[in-house]
Amino acid sequence: MVPARRLVLAYLWTAFTVFAAAVVLGVWQMWVRSPIAAPFSTPDNYYLSVTAHGTAMAYVLTTFFIMGFGYYAAETALDQKVPGPRWAWVAYALGVIGVVMAIVTIFAGRASVLYTFYPPLTASVFYYLGLVLVVVGSWIWCVQMIAAMALWKRANPGKPVPLAMFATVSNAMLWLWTTAGVAVELLFIVIPAALGLTETVDVGLTRTLFSWTLHAIVYFWLIPAYIAFYTMAPRAAGGRLYSDTMGRLSFVLFLVCSLPVGMHHLFMDPEHSSGFKFVQMSLTVLVTVPTLLTIFTIPASLEIAGRMRGGTGLFGWIGALPWREPMVLATGLAFVMLWFGGGGGLINMSYAMNAMVHNTSWVTAHFHLIFGGTVVIMYFAIAYEIWPHLTGRAPVSPRGQCAQLWLWAIGMMVMTVPWHWLGLEGQWRRVAHFDYADPAIAGWAPWVDASVVGGVILLVSAAMFVANLLAFYADATVALRPVPPQRYAIAAHPPARVPAMFNGFGMWNVVVLVLMLCAYGYPIAQSFILPAPQANVHRMSGAS
Amino acid sequence: MAMDRLGRTWRLRVGATLVVFLAVMAALGFVIIPVIEGRQAGLDPFTAICRAFGIGTPGTAAAVTAPARPETHVAWTAPTFAALAAADKTAGATAAQAACVACHAADGTSPDPAVPHMAGQSAFAIFKELRDYKDGARVNDTMSPIAQSLDDKEMADVAAYYASLKPAGLDASHPSPAGPEIEAIALRGDPSRTLPPCAACHAAGAGGPLETPVLTGQSPAYVESQLQAFAKGERHNDTFMGMRAIAAKLTPREMALLGAYYATPR
Repeated sequence: MVPARRLVLAYLWTAFTVFAAAVVLGVWQMWVRSPIAAPFSTPDNYYLSVTAHGTAMAYVLTTFFIMGFGYYAAETALDQKVPGPRWAWVAYALGVIGVVMAIVTIFAGRASVLYTFYPPLTASVFYYLGLVLVVVGSWIWCVQMIAAMALWKRANPGKPVPLAMFATVSNAMLWLWTTAGVAVELLFIVIPAALGLTETVDVGLTRTLFSWTLHAIVYFWLIPAYIAFYTMAPRAAGGRLYSDTMGRLSFVLFLVCSLPVGMHHLFMDPEHSSGFKFVQMSLTVLVTVPTLLTIFTIPASLEIAGRMRGGTGLFGWIGALPWREPMVLATGLAFVMLWFGGGGGLINMSYAMNAMVHNTSWVTAHFHLIFGGTVVIMYFAIAYEIWPHLTGRAPVSPRGQCAQLWLWAIGMMVMTVPWHWLGLEGQWRRVAHFDYADPAIAGWAPWVDASVVGGVILLVSAAMFVANLLAFYADATVALRPVPPQRYAIAAHPPARVPAMFNGFGMWNVVVLVLMLCAYGYPIAQSFILPAPQANVHRMSGAS
Repeated sequence: MAMDRLGRTWRLRVGATLVVFLAVMAALGFVIIPVIEGRQAGLDPFTAICRAFGIGTPGTAAAVTAPARPETHVAWTAPTFAALAAADKTAGATAAQAACVACHAADGTSPDPAVPHMAGQSAFAIFKELRDYKDGARVNDTMSPIAQSLDDKEMADVAAYYASLKPAGLDASHPSPAGPEIEAIALRGDPSRTLPPCAACHAAGAGGPLETPVLTGQSPAYVESQLQAFAKGERHNDTFMGMRAIAAKLTPREMALLGAYYATPR
């Protein structure tokens, strides 16, 4: 059993409880936007719900899951206790207080700002302070992860840090870099404005600072899924990881490439010149590299497993894989969704094509498919993988878990394929109501209806997920059987030693610094050098 | 030792890759693309590079003309209104004598049920359809060549002429076959199909877009055939796909009965 199991369970249950509530809101939002009459449908309720759904899914589910899983990985991969366990509970308490502050403010109707921080839309200061507490808590976690790896390296000189932990620390590094942008935006601009201390805001600068955070944050959410791809799926399939080095390279590249790219969210913004947009677009292209490496390495690892299980021929190994294993099934389904979501992402990041899909349902579809699909289905699979180690119990059959994963993937595809199409047709995102009797948009109605069906399937799957986790506790009589300690996938050629640059992050942080200076240096500095164009300076409504 | 050497090699490779990548992208983003594109916009290379960095005042870019392919080329602009206002219906009568009356008759009430009545039709509608035939936005074996032989002035004159004629009376010889459900579609639509009412645009008085034709008294067979053509997309000169989206939701029976509905008194 894991020493920090109560801690990890507290984090993960918080994450999944908030997740389950937010799924209900998500389905209601789709219902409101559909031609079918929905209850409580007012624009105010819709924007309140979008804020709550986004805050819950993007900030609470992710941060709590990643922190909980990080503590778990730190203990199981390094086989040592988390340094400063009390601090982990302090971080948890800060997070919970912060979440309660934010949620109460949202449901009081004082923070309907759609969970993105784009002034002059300004929430009550309690919403921002709540999220700041969550982030401060997560910084404690970052320090603990970095310290855990440093302590282990000191105790094991010259040995390669286990990949699961190396990846977790890469994510902690990434998170520290990522949150810098939004922290500056909130502490120096948005919170003073929400308090009524400032009268105007340069929205060009705030949008730029938020873009600093906005793209790398999605890789913070994504990396646990990749940790499962590299360190759990090959073992669950009964094989070995094709290449440990490829894993290290991928996680390092995520750290390096996901940061200097946020301006692709601002392609349609006037405050930046085309040159910097072009440079950041080019850097965005590089983010595909670690994913492409993974798309090669993980199927190669699964091929090893499939062939060891007797699969032959060009594709025979695919059928030979143990698809009834939740981790293997989730990996397969995640890759299918990654294929479509990644393709859509390539269109989003292309400077010219972005104009076509900007602010349409296409964008919503893209990030639901990648995050809600690929990432969250791996969160489920990780939960199913580690819950036996946290509770000392295992289900008799994984059938219910597999059914849940299938439904999630099907629901996500049924929901997001119509959204992509609607985006191409020009359907706006973040709009509370559509009059489908208007002939100009009447043709959208069947597509929207179809996506609601997908949402309902997702709701069923989410309920099944919670039931599957509760089954660990309910079926105590049948499920008690010895659970072996958590083991991670072994590489086909386990590394005896690795170069220092693949065993730590010193040099990579320098690379990130250089790239960030090139990509964001002048675009941020111009706000201080040149007088802001009048169109960029907005009056604040003051305290609310 | 081997690991240290490997580490140094990798550091060099990473540094070199980074420098080369950034240099190439900066050259493309700040110099090559802005200079080439700036040439089309009439910018000198120095200004183009400065603007790629976000420095300097916006210049006057040459207008970029991208060919648009609208459903129709008719725009309700001041010149169009002026042309229609200046139309001469006497000249229109003469032009119609040469080009139209063979099918649409001199009084604008066609004997052939497949041919629409023109008497009392909106001049805007007639003008717009003639222009669409001429431009190829609407296609008909008979009408397209005729419209191509007319100029804008003649179209406006013909439109004014037929608009000035007294419309044919409604056919009161037998009760309308259209029941209350057809009247409901015409007047209230069908929300369950997100079908707006016909009357939302084809109102007796002011209604939808300017070019909306008058339906009351129109030939039932013609109305039905046009609804079918919209539903199949064979006719596609409706702005924003309005009629195509609506007609696609109607059943063939409803199309026929809607034609009858507008041809009989109610």
